[in-house]
Amino acid sequence: MPGNTENGRLMKNKIKVYRAMHDLTQEDLAHATGVTRQTILAIEKGKYVPSLDLAFKISRYFNVNIEEVFQYSDAVRTIDVD
Amino acid sequence: MKKNTFYLFTGCIALVLLALFWYSVELHTPLLIEIGFIVAIIAIYLARKRVTDIIEDERTARITEEAAVRTFQVFWVGFCALSIGVVMEILYIPSFPRDHPAIHPPQMLPPRMLGYLQLGLLCLMIFLYVGFRIYYARKYGEWETDEE
Repeated sequence: MPGNTENGRLMKNKIKVYRAMHDLTQEDLAHATGVTRQTILAIEKGKYVPSLDLAFKISRYFNVNIEEVFQYSDAVRTIDVD
Repeated sequence: MKKNTFYLFTGCIALVLLALFWYSVELHTPLLIEIGFIVAIIAIYLARKRVTDIIEDERTARITEEAAVRTFQVFWVGFCALSIGVVMEILYIPSFPRDHPAIHPPQMLPPRMLGYLQLGLLCLMIFLYVGFRIYYARKYGEWETDEE
């Protein structure tokens, strides 16, 4: 689910997919990354964009690069240079 | 200490404070509730440090931070407006009208009135903070539900 960043761009993530692949509950992932279950739920639903620190913790937990879990989309705002 | 134990402890402290407030009003000893309040805050702070469950993370910290900043941004306007009014009251110099030469002493705000004013400001601050907290908690998915 995409979440809006502060400059209005979209931050998508695949946490739910990776959780399913690793057979993890939100509670398990929350415990492993040192946050509450509600925070994992909010990230998955795109309500909250995690800090870089938390994003790295989550991606490292799944042993993948950060960009495989989180995608920064610039589809919302494009600046015409010409 | 577990999360629920901490919340129970905080609730008990709130009840004790309420009783202490009432007792303090009855005896008209403001020092009692003032000291009680400080002790209660210290007790809650110490208990919070002993909680082993995760009750605060970066999202809750952000909710708190944004609610506090917005509260300050709105509150200072009201606070300054009222303070200017009080300053005007202090700086008031009585005029001496020629028609009525009787001199009236300058009217100062009585302490009780200042107390009500301060109570109003405190209520405004709490009301703003709770309102903004609810807003940001909703924004950052505090009450989101999942199928899990």
